[in-house]
Amino acid sequence: MERTLANFIRALRMADVRVSTSETLDAFRTAEITGWRDRTALKQALALALPKTADEKDAFDACFEQFFRFDDFRSEGKPEDPTDASPDDDSGDEAGESGDSAAGGEGEAPGGGGGGRSSGSDAEELEELVHPGEMSGPSSELGQLLMAEDSSRLSLAIANAARDAKLEEIKVFTQKGLYTRRIMEGMGLAGLQEELGELGESTELPDRRLAAELRRRRDGLREQIRDHVERQFLLHADARGDRLREEMLRKVKLSNVEHRNFRHLRVLVQKMAKQLAAAHSRRRRVTKRGQLNVPKMLRRNMRHGGELVELAWKSTKIDRPKVYAICDVSGSMTTYARFMLMLLYSLEEVLPNVRAFAFSSDLGEVTDLFRREAIDDAIALTLKDYGGGSTDYGQAFEDFERLAGSALDNRSTLIILGDARNNFGEARTDLLRGFRDRSKRVMWLNPEPEMAWGSGDSEMRRYQAHVHQANVCNSLLHLERVVSNLLRAVT
Amino acid sequence: MTESAIRPDNAALIASVASVQDALGAQNYICSSQIATAVYLAWHLGKPVLVEGPPGVGKTELAKTTARMLDLSLIRLQCYEGLDEAKALYEWKYGKQLLYIQVLKEQLGEILQGAVGLKASVARLHEFGDIFFSEEFLEPRPLLRALREEGGSVLLIDEVDKADQEFESLLLEILSDFQVSIPEIGTVKAGAQKPLVFLTSNNTREISDALKRRCLHLYIPFPEPKLEQEIIRARVPEITEELRRQLVAFVQELREMDLKKVPAISETIDWARTLLLLHSEALEADLIKDTLNVILKFQDDIDTVEAELYSITGRALNRR
Repeated sequence: MERTLANFIRALRMADVRVSTSETLDAFRTAEITGWRDRTALKQALALALPKTADEKDAFDACFEQFFRFDDFRSEGKPEDPTDASPDDDSGDEAGESGDSAAGGEGEAPGGGGGGRSSGSDAEELEELVHPGEMSGPSSELGQLLMAEDSSRLSLAIANAARDAKLEEIKVFTQKGLYTRRIMEGMGLAGLQEELGELGESTELPDRRLAAELRRRRDGLREQIRDHVERQFLLHADARGDRLREEMLRKVKLSNVEHRNFRHLRVLVQKMAKQLAAAHSRRRRVTKRGQLNVPKMLRRNMRHGGELVELAWKSTKIDRPKVYAICDVSGSMTTYARFMLMLLYSLEEVLPNVRAFAFSSDLGEVTDLFRREAIDDAIALTLKDYGGGSTDYGQAFEDFERLAGSALDNRSTLIILGDARNNFGEARTDLLRGFRDRSKRVMWLNPEPEMAWGSGDSEMRRYQAHVHQANVCNSLLHLERVVSNLLRAVT
Repeated sequence: MTESAIRPDNAALIASVASVQDALGAQNYICSSQIATAVYLAWHLGKPVLVEGPPGVGKTELAKTTARMLDLSLIRLQCYEGLDEAKALYEWKYGKQLLYIQVLKEQLGEILQGAVGLKASVARLHEFGDIFFSEEFLEPRPLLRALREEGGSVLLIDEVDKADQEFESLLLEILSDFQVSIPEIGTVKAGAQKPLVFLTSNNTREISDALKRRCLHLYIPFPEPKLEQEIIRARVPEITEELRRQLVAFVQELREMDLKKVPAISETIDWARTLLLLHSEALEADLIKDTLNVILKFQDDIDTVEAELYSITGRALNRR
């Protein structure tokens, strides 16, 4: 059972539920206390120990339902004779299902059997089956298991065989057949086939009844195992695919991202912003003014014999950094700007004082637009209003100076996203220098590789001298790193 | 586990999830089996429970009721911005410490009697017991008090999301090991019976992963209509069956609307009491209009609901 639970936790991790080692241990202890008998109780108990947010709870629910679905073995594998059905599972649903499987078994079992029986005797066999009568006992291990009507033991056996076959490592859907066969073999298919062969030789009626019944159940079992494999595949491999794509998207150059992946990227950006927000929200700083903290002060001054020498202050202050972001949204920069804007938009929660500006030649503030509109509209409008023109950094800096220059102070951080390709216009490094002198930090993010800086009409080398920090930034990974550093610096 | 220290009557109460559910129900706290499972596991695993959910679904009440059910003292720590260890953990009785210094000054001559020279005096001082930072001068605050409570206690750390992130780190030692380190004294460990800890959060900010990892996580959603009716039956037993059904249906309708703050269970209970005071037998649009301010706390919401009052009432009354 331990390995089952470990596999379940693995599946949870694939489904983006963060489970730490200590939580794994909790889960084991939880399972020990509640036991494995009652499925609902187990689910409720594990739901307390493993998922820790509302999102994770949803993922956990789905995962649990998929992973622990052994209950559906119960309805199948029942004898077709209704008088044999145990009285306690007479619910309409189950009865219907068992009827179905019985009917399917009658129709398919003889033809589909791989035992090599001639088709001539099938009709006769069917005849015999319709009239239930004495049946001999199965001798092979799997045969006994199949005839035992013990659904929990059967599902346990399947789970065990699946584990031995390392089903959790299934990667692509073409492997489904392979794993199904391996599991069947692991459960002792060879023995069963042998027994079926022997029974086929026999002329005794009870033996042949048994053979038909066994064959029917074997096919039912194969069906169940296939379902099991299918579910495990969805659980393990699908999520892994997502993970892979996410990893890929983070590293790829933003300009190379295909359009159909934009949707995924946006989710990713939001996820990233959320993580950054969680890591950097609210820093406090003890301030040197406000009310006196009398107890602390007295205590601190004990060492001076009770004379008040050192002062202790009560108030702490929440630092609210100001971030100004200038985005170049001209033609060449559109893709990058889109994600930068997306991230800025998502970061509004963490940094309440974000002011965003966009330009290609004339610069304008888009902060209000961001507050008003939904993310997609806001970005589209920004690109429409300011994008597409030919770049003029000089003009943009002038406009920025006019709009926000006076607001820059020693708590402000200025981020400039642009390729610094100025079409040989006036660079106005003097203005940039001014920004730098007045603010805490000026960062320049350039999507071009450092080799290209300063080549052609790029003014990057000159601008670089007038900022605190210049970084290459052309993938989400870069963006995340830069913004994380930024948040650490400003908060 | 600390089974030996459990009182026999408590052992029976928490023997199974069902018995916990029944015992909570006997205290007029009607809950789903998920909630009962949380209490059951918290007790048997010795783990704190972090309770999240919209305001007014009975997060704080759960801790209070559990304390009543187990007949343990409830120690409550209300969190707010700026809460620090001096208010949550312990504080030195500085007034008493100052007095001690003065007494010591006066007695100094006596203590140092016969000691000649600085070296001998200091040696004499060292022999003298150092009680300046000792239990006598320690003022325990809720967290420390909960740890030292004989026979266990229920510790409620309310609205932990309102406190600062630093405070969460402070909680880590207590929540995982049930101990507190006081630099001057050493480590204070919980007694034989560890406290049962509940933390509540209204999700105004994300609780740190480190804290979540140490807790069981319980999310209490708004209750299903059936459960809510049970709750009203337990809390306001005088109300008629029909009215109870109607008002729960109405509140459930409101929860599906886009409101600034949807009514929670506590509001439903208040409303039931209001209607009882007014001797009403059944819900009518006019009656609802007059008492809407009991369940809705924003004028905007009241306006929105009033505009559609008749259709909502109609839907609620036809709901089964």
